[in-house]
Amino acid sequence: MKKELNKVLAVLVLVAIFFASCDENNTPEPFKPTPYTIEIPYGFPTNLNIPADNPMTVEGIELGRYLFYDGRLSGRTHPDSLMTCATCHRQERAFEAGVDHPDFPGGHPIGLSGLKTHHVMLPMINLVWNSSGYGWNGFLYPDNPDENMRNIEDFVRLTVFAKDEIDGDTMRIVNLFQSLDGYPDLFLKAFGSNKITFTNIEKAIAQFVRTLISADSKFDKYLRGEVQLAQSEINGFVLFTTEEGADCFHCHGGSGNPMFTTHLFYNNGKDTEFTDPMDRFLISNDPMDHGAYKATTLRNISVQGPYMHDGRFETLDEVIEFYSHAVLMSPYVNPLMHHVNNGGIMLTPTEKEDLLNFISTLHDEEFLINPKFSKPDRFPDEQ
Amino acid sequence: MGIMVLFSCKENPPTPEVEPINLVLNFLHNVEMDTIQYINAAGNPYSVSEIQYFISDVFLYKENGDKILLDAWDDIHYVDTDIPETSSYNIEGAVEPGNYIGLGFTFGINEIKNQSMLFVNPPESFMFWPEYLGGGFHYLKLNGKWLDQDGNTKVYNFHLGIGQEYNEEGEIIGFIQNYFEIEFNINTFTVEAGQSIRAEILMDVNKWFTSPHDFDFNVWGGDIMQNQEAMNIGCENGFDVFSVEELSIFKLEK
Repeated sequence: MKKELNKVLAVLVLVAIFFASCDENNTPEPFKPTPYTIEIPYGFPTNLNIPADNPMTVEGIELGRYLFYDGRLSGRTHPDSLMTCATCHRQERAFEAGVDHPDFPGGHPIGLSGLKTHHVMLPMINLVWNSSGYGWNGFLYPDNPDENMRNIEDFVRLTVFAKDEIDGDTMRIVNLFQSLDGYPDLFLKAFGSNKITFTNIEKAIAQFVRTLISADSKFDKYLRGEVQLAQSEINGFVLFTTEEGADCFHCHGGSGNPMFTTHLFYNNGKDTEFTDPMDRFLISNDPMDHGAYKATTLRNISVQGPYMHDGRFETLDEVIEFYSHAVLMSPYVNPLMHHVNNGGIMLTPTEKEDLLNFISTLHDEEFLINPKFSKPDRFPDEQ
Repeated sequence: MGIMVLFSCKENPPTPEVEPINLVLNFLHNVEMDTIQYINAAGNPYSVSEIQYFISDVFLYKENGDKILLDAWDDIHYVDTDIPETSSYNIEGAVEPGNYIGLGFTFGINEIKNQSMLFVNPPESFMFWPEYLGGGFHYLKLNGKWLDQDGNTKVYNFHLGIGQEYNEEGEIIGFIQNYFEIEFNINTFTVEAGQSIRAEILMDVNKWFTSPHDFDFNVWGGDIMQNQEAMNIGCENGFDVFSVEELSIFKLEK
């Protein structure tokens, strides 16, 4: 009798386990990625440019970091045909190519097809605070009537398509990543489906790029009251933020705008003739925007060379020399370049040194070596 | 306790619906941008490329002469000719029904509110006034170009904000608040509950350079942030830069 009872109990337990396991298999786990919150550094804007359809998540950022660094984003696997964001955007160069790029002489990127990009690169620093347009002429902006030309997500897609960049094919890229162990699972965690789409590739990379925040330079620490600036740096700061000094602050910010850019577009008096079809005029159709380009952030500017949209200056000394003595008047020069009335800001050698020393306080070494921004040790299919 | 709750529930009458009265200020600028086509009282041909400014502490004068400040702490409005939506400032529900004879505002921001980091988001944050020069924010950025006495095109930044006092060595020894109050006397108007006030306010840009002082670009040059004498001229000229072109009472649409 006892044996019979045990048998019945055993059967009941098995049935219970069966139904329990059936229940688990039939009810998919709800998709719950972990929200990622950006902590606003001291003095930074509180408004972030994060599209409503791509909220940041820990899983999305992790996936985006893999894709940012995985050369198979070109859709190809041959070692000579690998290309991804990080091929040009090098962390140690503030996510620009840098004048010392091993494959791009002078820091001017060359795409997989062998074509040079139209302009040199812009850094990837604090882009989550840019709502004025991405690119030298701001061709991607939030209220663009073309909803496919608005944000970093779109930049990813355009970069992949561009002949002078990755020159890729989205179907081929999607199929390749679908076949790589580990990636489908990461897409499942980030976006709720292990079926990879190019839209989700764009979203993941954009999420990662939005985490690239620089807010720990010597100047940030000075603003937070943690360090003091040296006298030459203070002299340079005064020059930077005074009209009768170097007057950098109207376009490049300062303590009241610690982005160290307005992200706006200015003709800064480099030329008198304007033939570039991809200047700000292309986007704004405002005749005064001939020869106008984005004011770059000066954070980590010392590693951002080459400088200006066409990379005409290799060093910061050359840039300061230009602003000091070689600014040119034209019908299109921005009125904020009021020193053009004298050909430039006319700094003395000591003032140039002071200004450079201040700008060097915007160097954020932590940003350049932060392992969260670095290439992963292994890609998902190598785990 | 239960009795008290019931008692207090019974005591609270239904809150009557308060019909708000808004004050809407629409700012107009009588300029065509970027072409050198205007001439100021000093005879300088000039153009305007952009105008950006703060107004704050809006007030109304009641018929009995009482000055009614409509503000809250954040009653600071930014106007930018590059951003059309900034040209309208709606102060919601701030006005009491009654008879009024005037309105006005502060051009710029007073010293209590004009603190650095008050605005951290663009576009207002782009108006920051460097700490070294007094901190806070520009009251005005008026940028453009002019022709000098030899016919050469030059650029100007007519910027107003906190001024500085310098000693003989060129060191800053004090700061001067340059904000100023603008008043408009208007024929008596009455506003009732459910209505609102709309004022069309015109900035006559030429008056910044014209009255009561002739502002000569050839004398003052292209930048004045560190020149209190020039900024003071700008501020004194600023008193009659604005005018109320039209004031209307309208019914709020529900």
